[in-house]
Amino acid sequence: MKRTLPLLLILALVVVFAYLFATKGVISAPTELRPLGKFYLEKCMIGGDFAAGSPEAVTSILWDYRGLDTLFETSVFFLAIIGSLMLFSFKVKEVVREQELTLVVRSVTKIAAVMILAVSASIALHGHLTPGGGFQGGSALAVAPLLVLVAFSRKILETSGLSLKRAIVIRSLGLMGILLTALLPLTLGGYIMQNLPIFPKYIADQLTSGSLIFYNVFEYLAVGAGFTAVFLLISIPEKNFVEEEK
Amino acid sequence: MSLFELFLWSFVVLALVATVLISLYGIAKRPNLVKKLIALTILGDTANLFVILFGYRLIYPVAPPVLAQWSESGVKELLRKAVDPLPQALVITAIVIGMAVNIFIAFLIIQAHRLYRSVDTREIAKYGGE
Repeated sequence: MKRTLPLLLILALVVVFAYLFATKGVISAPTELRPLGKFYLEKCMIGGDFAAGSPEAVTSILWDYRGLDTLFETSVFFLAIIGSLMLFSFKVKEVVREQELTLVVRSVTKIAAVMILAVSASIALHGHLTPGGGFQGGSALAVAPLLVLVAFSRKILETSGLSLKRAIVIRSLGLMGILLTALLPLTLGGYIMQNLPIFPKYIADQLTSGSLIFYNVFEYLAVGAGFTAVFLLISIPEKNFVEEEK
Repeated sequence: MSLFELFLWSFVVLALVATVLISLYGIAKRPNLVKKLIALTILGDTANLFVILFGYRLIYPVAPPVLAQWSESGVKELLRKAVDPLPQALVITAIVIGMAVNIFIAFLIIQAHRLYRSVDTREIAKYGGE
């Protein structure tokens, strides 16, 4: 409670200065597109159809125009996860969980985890059509095992098939997919990470935006499983839970 | 643009500036390493929000940079009301890199705790780098 006064003071200062700035017109709100943003928007939507095969400008920039940037960003992210996997490769002593969470929490978690899986898959698979994408979907996916970890236990996650090893394998498969999708155009006479003439824009009359959907799906798997691996590492295994379940 | 809109916009910008200042205070003054890390994540997220804000347009109606059905007039309409897609694409990169750095720092803190049995910088400083 001792911090209430400073916080209220800061709030009051912000309100007063916001009013002063608004009346004086110090901070102007942007109403026009910047030239670079306009350039990208025009280039994404140009020429009778979509230049990158996707009606979504952000994903087009992310995996097509600035694709190499995203590729190396992904590699930095996974180097960090590999680093943490290495740093944390020691035995944690098991603890006894004194109290279980209530039935309400566990039932809600069961429903919510399934719904999170569905929503995250939708975010990732529609990444080339609507706002969203592989990374956003993957981070949403990782919330489901995190909820199960907190509401139930690490053992339950492992006995139901999501062990640390399996998470790392799924992550590696996703990364391998991204790498193969990036290198495949080279073998077909294109450039690295080339999108459209190499990959088909439509598959079975569905707009799949060339390589964008592959990147999104692989990134979804890699990020989701990578985060799950880190959560599994951070969590502490419980001693008594499995016996109680039986 | 009405005074109220400008006030709200200034309020958001100033609130973000205040958040940056508070997080800088947290990074500099808190002795607890975990609290330093929390302040650092707040700083990073605020910076990302700033970048998103620069790409926003204070107009009505405002649209995401998505064009569902291609047409000549549709592109013109989109350019009239869509937000800037570039900051959003850059922020995704920034978030991922920030997350990588945060994971790394979190594990450094765990390592410090394993070595010194404390996450308090004053306690760790007593060891004098040993």
